Amino acid sequence: MLDGDVQMALRAQSVTVALGGRTVLRDIDVEANPGEVLALLGPNGAGKSTLLKALAGLLPYEGNVEIGGVEVASLPPRKRAKRVSYVPQRSLLRSALSVEEVVALGRYVHGMGFGGMSKRDRDAIDEALATAHADVLRDRVFTRLSVGEQQRVLLARALASDAPILLMDEPTAALDVGEGLSVLRLIRTLAARKHTVVVVLHDLADARTTTDRAILLKEGRVVEKGDTEDVVALEPIRAAYGVRLIENARIGFEPDTEALRAD
Amino acid sequence: MRLYLLLFLLLLVAGVLAVLVGSGDLTNPELRDTFLKLRGYRLVAAFLAGSALAVGGVVVQGLFRNPLASPSVLGTTAGASFGGQVALFSYGIAGLGGGFVVPEMIVPIGCFIGALGALAILLLFVRVTQDLLALLLTGFVLSALFLSLSGLLTSIAQETWELGRAIVSFSLGSVSGTGPRQLSFAFPLVAAALAACWFWGRPLDLLLSGEEEALSMGANVDTVRWWSAVWVSVLVASAVSLGGNVGFVGLVVPHMLRPFAGTKHQRLIPAAALAGGIFLVSCDILARLIPSRSEIPLGVVTGLIGAPLFLLLLIKLRREHAYA
Repeated sequence: MLDGDVQMALRAQSVTVALGGRTVLRDIDVEANPGEVLALLGPNGAGKSTLLKALAGLLPYEGNVEIGGVEVASLPPRKRAKRVSYVPQRSLLRSALSVEEVVALGRYVHGMGFGGMSKRDRDAIDEALATAHADVLRDRVFTRLSVGEQQRVLLARALASDAPILLMDEPTAALDVGEGLSVLRLIRTLAARKHTVVVVLHDLADARTTTDRAILLKEGRVVEKGDTEDVVALEPIRAAYGVRLIENARIGFEPDTEALRAD
Repeated sequence: MRLYLLLFLLLLVAGVLAVLVGSGDLTNPELRDTFLKLRGYRLVAAFLAGSALAVGGVVVQGLFRNPLASPSVLGTTAGASFGGQVALFSYGIAGLGGGFVVPEMIVPIGCFIGALGALAILLLFVRVTQDLLALLLTGFVLSALFLSLSGLLTSIAQETWELGRAIVSFSLGSVSGTGPRQLSFAFPLVAAALAACWFWGRPLDLLLSGEEEALSMGANVDTVRWWSAVWVSVLVASAVSLGGNVGFVGLVVPHMLRPFAGTKHQRLIPAAALAGGIFLVSCDILARLIPSRSEIPLGVVTGLIGAPLFLLLLIKLRREHAYA
């Protein structure tokens, strides 16, 4: 659960980001509320990940990004990380830390921990590991896990910070269908617990099943925004990707409740 | 806990050997006290220098996320070494500095001025660019610059036999001439820097995942980098002031320890402080044991032991895919 059940909305207005002298995002408005999953969609190079990093306060931007009513760029790193946590697509961690140690890094925002970890830290780590279904991995070395397992651990690391806003960059990329499904279900669980979730997704079918609202980007501009059902629709998809959307054409998957119970 | 027990045991053995081993005759009652005192100073100097270099290695390897980094990558080691040589040279040629401080403190102070000068240039550049690669490259350029200047000074010093010998001996590394004044100068600096590095342990853990992830988890990346550079510089300046140029300690010791102490900095740093000290004390004992007309320089011994040891560790690490 959230630290003291804090709920926070995320609002961004006219966000413009320039990288290396090139404007990669222009005038983007974003609104995400507690209990809601917002998808950032668009073809490669549309600026989805850049927008996510700007919302996390990891990139310099023009415009306003407010988390819980406070401008994200005005917050010192630790205060910012207490409000918003960011899950990268892959971690750059190459050192031999255990899963538990990696998840404990998420607790940094709550103090320097000179006397070791407090009971509250340990409880938060346990709960984050349990929520992300990563408790069985606790003693494994992070770098030796599969990509899907690593993704769950990164999610647990973000959850351990107790931040009410969660930003995730393509959490299902490189995962197999079962792993992907489990991460998507987790995203819904977090929204049900009143987290504010913003997630970059490649798979439009996943966006339809998992997210409430969506922003569709192309070349750094908004093509369409609104309820995901209306965004992942014939015209916007044609405009963004140049493809025709065919309803009910793809095969779908759902968790096998019997197999899950057998687990 | 078992690791610390083992390290303390090793320290005890190395300490006893360091006091007993050497060319002086301990059975001579007139000279025994002097020999013991000199070896005691030497033991403490080697331990402090080894601790400083090993912890410096842990910090830069974390900071650069590169297991091949050694504390000398920042260029402050070469700066400290050059500063020490300039101090030796100017005192030897013109007696400069002798009016302000006692002669044995001239080299340590020179080392500190050299290291701080190198650090000032480094931070000036890094403040402009705010980039890890810039830090690495600036450190590399500074090292090359100070090594060239040291080379120039060494060649000029050859015109005077005694001075040339002193400068070469300093650059090869030795703790044999250390006295209580140098120790009381270096001890508080090493102790403060070790404590500071431990204090920064958690943000350094975050930096193992790269700067962007560290920032996203709440680390003030620029501040951590800045202070790490400062404390590593204090550590290497202290080490150079005590033992001259001693390589490989900062590279090898952290690697030897990680399989036992793990990667978390607040666990690794105290272990590295102990193990680095033990390593250098042992190398100093070996320097005295190897038969030779004069003593083998400490820097030569650490290189001769450190290089093959590092290769062995590398083969072992590759086999275990720890850095795959």
